[in-house]
Amino acid sequence: MWYEIFKFEIQYRIKRPDTYVFFLFIFLFSIVGVDFIFQGSEMGLMKRNSPIVIAKTMGAITGFFMILASMIMGVSVLRDFEYEIESLLFSTPIKKRDYLMGRFLGAFTVLLFVFTGIILGMMLGEFMPWNSPDELLAFNAFIYIKTFVMVTLPTLFFGAALFFVTGALTRNLVVVYTQGVILFVVFLLTKAITNAFWQAIFDPFSLTTVTYITKSWTVLEKSTQELPFISALLYNKLFWFFLGVIALMYGYKKFNFNLVKEKKSKRKHVQKLVAKSANKNTDIEIPKAKKHYGLSSKWTQLKEFSWFYFISIFKQPSFWGIVICGMIIILINSVNLGTVYGVDSYPATYFIVEELQETSYFFFIIILVFYSGELVWKERGAKLNLIYDATPMSSFVRLAGKFIGLNLIYVVLILALISSGIVFQTLSGYYNYELQVYFNGFFLEILPLLSIFTCLAFFIQSLVNNKFVGIILVIVFSIVNVAIAVLGFDHDLHFFGGSSLGAYSDMNGYGHFLQPYLLIKLYWFLFGILLLIIGSLVAVRGNETNLIKRIRVAKYKFSKPLIKFTDIILFAFIIIGGFIFYNTNILNEYWSNSEATEFRVAYEKELKQFEYIPQPKIIDVNLQLELYPSKRDYTVEGYYMLKNTSIENIKAIHIQKLLEENVTIDSISFEGGFTTNNQYKKFDYSIFNLEKALQPGDSVKMYFKQRFTTKGFEQGRSNTNIVYNGTFFNNEQFPTLGYNKKYELQDEDKRRDHNLSKRSKKVNIDDPKELVNARSGGDSDGINFEMIIGTSKDQTALVPGDLLRKWTDNNRNYFHYKTNTPIINFYAIVSADYEIKKDKWMTSNEAITEPVDLEIYYQKGHEYNIDRMMKSMKASLAYYSNNFSPYQYQQLRIMEFPRYAQFAQSFPGTIPFSESIGFVLDIDDEKDVDMAFYVTAHEVAHQWFGMQVEAANVQGQLMVLETLSQYAAIMVLKEQYSEEKVQQFLALQLDKYKEGKQQESKEEPSLALVENQDYVYYAKGAINMYELQKAIGEKNVNLALKYFLEDWNTKNGKLKMQTDRYATTQDLLEYFRAVTPSNLQHIIEELFESVGVLKNH
Amino acid sequence: MELRIDNLSKTYSNGIKALQNISLDIPKGMFGLLGPNGAGKSTLMRTIATLQEADSGSIVLGDIDVLQQKNELRQVLGYLPQQFGLYPKISAEVLLNHFAVLKGITNKNERKELVKALLYKTNLYDVRQQNLKGFSGGMKQRFGIAQALLNNPKLLIVDEPTAGLDPVERNRFYNVLSELGEHTVVILSTHIVDDVKELCTNMAIINQGQVCLKGQPLQILEGLKDKVYKKTIEKSELNLYKENYQVISERLFLGKPTIHIISETNPGDGFTAINAELEDVYFSEIFNGTKTKSI
Repeated sequence: MWYEIFKFEIQYRIKRPDTYVFFLFIFLFSIVGVDFIFQGSEMGLMKRNSPIVIAKTMGAITGFFMILASMIMGVSVLRDFEYEIESLLFSTPIKKRDYLMGRFLGAFTVLLFVFTGIILGMMLGEFMPWNSPDELLAFNAFIYIKTFVMVTLPTLFFGAALFFVTGALTRNLVVVYTQGVILFVVFLLTKAITNAFWQAIFDPFSLTTVTYITKSWTVLEKSTQELPFISALLYNKLFWFFLGVIALMYGYKKFNFNLVKEKKSKRKHVQKLVAKSANKNTDIEIPKAKKHYGLSSKWTQLKEFSWFYFISIFKQPSFWGIVICGMIIILINSVNLGTVYGVDSYPATYFIVEELQETSYFFFIIILVFYSGELVWKERGAKLNLIYDATPMSSFVRLAGKFIGLNLIYVVLILALISSGIVFQTLSGYYNYELQVYFNGFFLEILPLLSIFTCLAFFIQSLVNNKFVGIILVIVFSIVNVAIAVLGFDHDLHFFGGSSLGAYSDMNGYGHFLQPYLLIKLYWFLFGILLLIIGSLVAVRGNETNLIKRIRVAKYKFSKPLIKFTDIILFAFIIIGGFIFYNTNILNEYWSNSEATEFRVAYEKELKQFEYIPQPKIIDVNLQLELYPSKRDYTVEGYYMLKNTSIENIKAIHIQKLLEENVTIDSISFEGGFTTNNQYKKFDYSIFNLEKALQPGDSVKMYFKQRFTTKGFEQGRSNTNIVYNGTFFNNEQFPTLGYNKKYELQDEDKRRDHNLSKRSKKVNIDDPKELVNARSGGDSDGINFEMIIGTSKDQTALVPGDLLRKWTDNNRNYFHYKTNTPIINFYAIVSADYEIKKDKWMTSNEAITEPVDLEIYYQKGHEYNIDRMMKSMKASLAYYSNNFSPYQYQQLRIMEFPRYAQFAQSFPGTIPFSESIGFVLDIDDEKDVDMAFYVTAHEVAHQWFGMQVEAANVQGQLMVLETLSQYAAIMVLKEQYSEEKVQQFLALQLDKYKEGKQQESKEEPSLALVENQDYVYYAKGAINMYELQKAIGEKNVNLALKYFLEDWNTKNGKLKMQTDRYATTQDLLEYFRAVTPSNLQHIIEELFESVGVLKNH
Repeated sequence: MELRIDNLSKTYSNGIKALQNISLDIPKGMFGLLGPNGAGKSTLMRTIATLQEADSGSIVLGDIDVLQQKNELRQVLGYLPQQFGLYPKISAEVLLNHFAVLKGITNKNERKELVKALLYKTNLYDVRQQNLKGFSGGMKQRFGIAQALLNNPKLLIVDEPTAGLDPVERNRFYNVLSELGEHTVVILSTHIVDDVKELCTNMAIINQGQVCLKGQPLQILEGLKDKVYKKTIEKSELNLYKENYQVISERLFLGKPTIHIISETNPGDGFTAINAELEDVYFSEIFNGTKTKSI
């Protein structure tokens, strides 16, 4: 008997189009599954069809599409109730067992069919043209099938059982969908389990499980070895399989075949009431109410409707299920906020908001996709559609009411999330709630996009007239929309919904992002309204479901007021679209990705010939800079003193303007006359032929005047250097000499496509041309620097050097800075509204020197760690000047800048320090490493390694600069805190190293030859330097560094003075060898010259 | 104001000719549309109710062209479909109020009064706060008529409203309907002859998409006066009688078949003359003729 039911189920599904739509959907997605899930970087050296990659991808796709499983399994029993044939069915002599078994197996078979789309899609994905053959193992169909059976099948079984049972017991479709959400929540919850083993067991999609069982594998094993079906993976699958069995057993027990009973008892109660009133007088005059069809009546209808539909969702338990899941997830996930180097930040509102946004997106999407379907189908679902359709109600008002109702639902979820955020803050003892940040984070950032996509969802649902197909189409559209943007067609005028709002910063708020963001959202919102109008015109009204016929009769529905309304919206849409276009494409230049690539290719092909031609060096910089933060403009004028340090005459001086259209050079002139060659004008590259060639040793003044003008707004994120509050840029803004390597095309594949040679990030350690450069296009071996800088009245502007004078003129603040010792040609310009913390530091061993001024410029409200930073500055200055060499400037300043970038960077005597690292860390001295202290110490160390000694721009450069700074900072940490904290810090570095190594797509280099691998020069460097000082003693290491500095100091190093070139790791390692006892000499090679294996701490 | 249907035709995409050149003039008052299941009644009703497109022909109510000016028609239309459901989790009062808004009654106080009166009228006032989930078939139909009356319709279409109602409920329903006839065009479609007999001043019989008979019930009966005869026979004789007489109906009476025949003259043979019932008209049209007769 069950077989008959099974057969019926299959036959029914075979005829349904949704079965094939689901299959196709999974199939198409799986083709790009690996690319989507790994998105390039994470894969590292693993092949893209290695068993691990396949297993993880399958697990993730299964997880994503659990919602499809719920649609397939959930409706199986539900359908009988929906079509009201349950009483027919259940009065036949079918046994409950046969009925449930037949239905379950039938639906499950269909489910399996649909999910085989994963196998086929992924197999096909292997042969997609964008895969390069060296990323692939030989094709092996068996692996796919085996992995499917191992990973996907048990999960599917569990999901199938759960969804089937819920569908049968609740008979509520939305509850069934919500299951998918809850399973996803379970997945997220497993992430909060700290025990790796149990996490691996409970992960329903076995992603962490796969990571867990392969964590000790080598890269080669990961690349090729098949997954064993043992230990954690087996237990995981057994666990979920048995849960599925339990769900089925429970469902079987609870499922009731005699449904009518339940209904009867309810009806009795009502009938009693009827009987009482049966004899009442019915001779009542029915009052004739006035009917209104004008605008005000439509407005009333819209309000009533919005509320009606809002309440209809608001009362559903499934909605509250989603809300509660959302709140719980946030409470669990928010445990680690704004974590930098293993230290959490204070739960500042914007952190909470970002966390809420990130985790809640999924819930909003679920609500959007499913409830829009529910609402469009609401009348038809209740079989009330004919009554509705025969009323004079405007279809548009009805759809608009549903739209607003759904938006109100979002608002409820938002308010719930905000309250859980506030609860979290309160529990963490943080009471600065900043409701405005909450409000903006949701009502500015999230709600507009949801609204726009809701219009789209209603439009699609109205058009296609099949709820499931509609849901799938909405999802497909959203994915395609993003995919097209990723391919480069990302202009906000045709990227549906527009891009997101930039990051919020305590210093700069939403800054200049806000205005264009709102305009673009308004543009899309108007478009959304147009979609709603069209949707309402073609929506099914009455019995006609054929789309073409519906379109044909749409004109009868297009009433005069609606036409007028449409005209207004359309007009506004075009005007705003035009205004956006004017800003992004006319005021500013819009470059598509391919245009930008072409430009870079041409730049390299035409100008590479000039890369190493002799050019003079900048020796003096004297500028007057006027910054206008509120307009985001500046002007700068002044001169460079250029000196010919080569042995040839220099006739032509090559000047590259910054390739940014906001920047214009008004004039450039050279003393003694010159002519201009504009042959390469299109690259903003000019050649100036001096009337009198510059003799070796001679100098010439180059005057220039440059402007930075912000015009309207541009497509995408415009620059975050020059902002309303928190400007931070460096001298790369100003004219540079000669060819700029940084403009070259970087992407390897694209370079190959354009016939460009391979480009290494760093040249060989013995490359003679770069050995004489301290940085790419350094243009200088040290400068004297002087700048007068003006900014708005509320801001303080900072550059390197002593502050000679400070005054106010014309309602603007002016500052005059000048260095009294040469600095490297790398200086930052910073301006913001600051609080200032001042202190002094006196060196202990040289009584003659003046005290050094210590200053921290910070955002009001970010006082938390100022003292730690100050303490670190003092301790670091003391340690480094005692052990390495004296500090070279009269001041040391830290300046906070907005969190658009997350780093701290050392410039001569000045350290710009991002808002997001250090300033708001909630450091618990018991359990955390004081990272505010450490980062400061590291940056101060750069005043030695980077400012005093520079390294040649070749392999190993970053070991000299960064690894040594890491070492220096660790020593200060050890001195001020404890060995234990150092160990904790090193453990963190070890994790970072491992993580970086995982993602490395090339061979790991040794420290001595490191290029730009930060997991080597930061993480491994820290560990190995610590090893070195343990082996040969801190004193000896410091001594080596002291001699190294003495010999290679850019300004007066004993060896540096005899050569053009800068120091390399080869030089450095000699100093280490010199202080290492002969029996330990081998460790230098082990630690720095070979890749080696890290010792475990 | 009357409703004029002219040459209305509709063929479904699967080839079924649901309406074939239907022409009807429907004056104020109750109009019964009689026909067997599948005759095209609902298609006709839905077309009049603007819910379906016709292939050709026209429908005019006063000066409203129904097929073009849908919204104008909807403003004066009350419609109770053959089958409908109700939102289970809200009360009669809330849903009726909701429908009132839909129909343009946007003044809050007026709406409140109206809803209250209609709930009284349809005897649902005491259960107005009950969830609609528990409503019986009769209550549901009464609710249906309440919503149809909200906008004081000039044209009221009720599609098979008494199907499935017990006799008490049916009477109650008739009482509500019967008061409306004076100012309103009421079209009542049904396959139950008694509905028409008890309520309607005009009627038409349609079958297979065509009008086979239209007129006033009394006049229609006039046409069969002295032509209907009845006899109780044995089961085995049934075919014999069918061959010899124009049998319009057969039904069981105390287990034995009783047949009605039409005959211009008294057939004798044990037949007794009876007063023609509307039912006899109906059966004679359905079983014997598809030609349109106007009496």
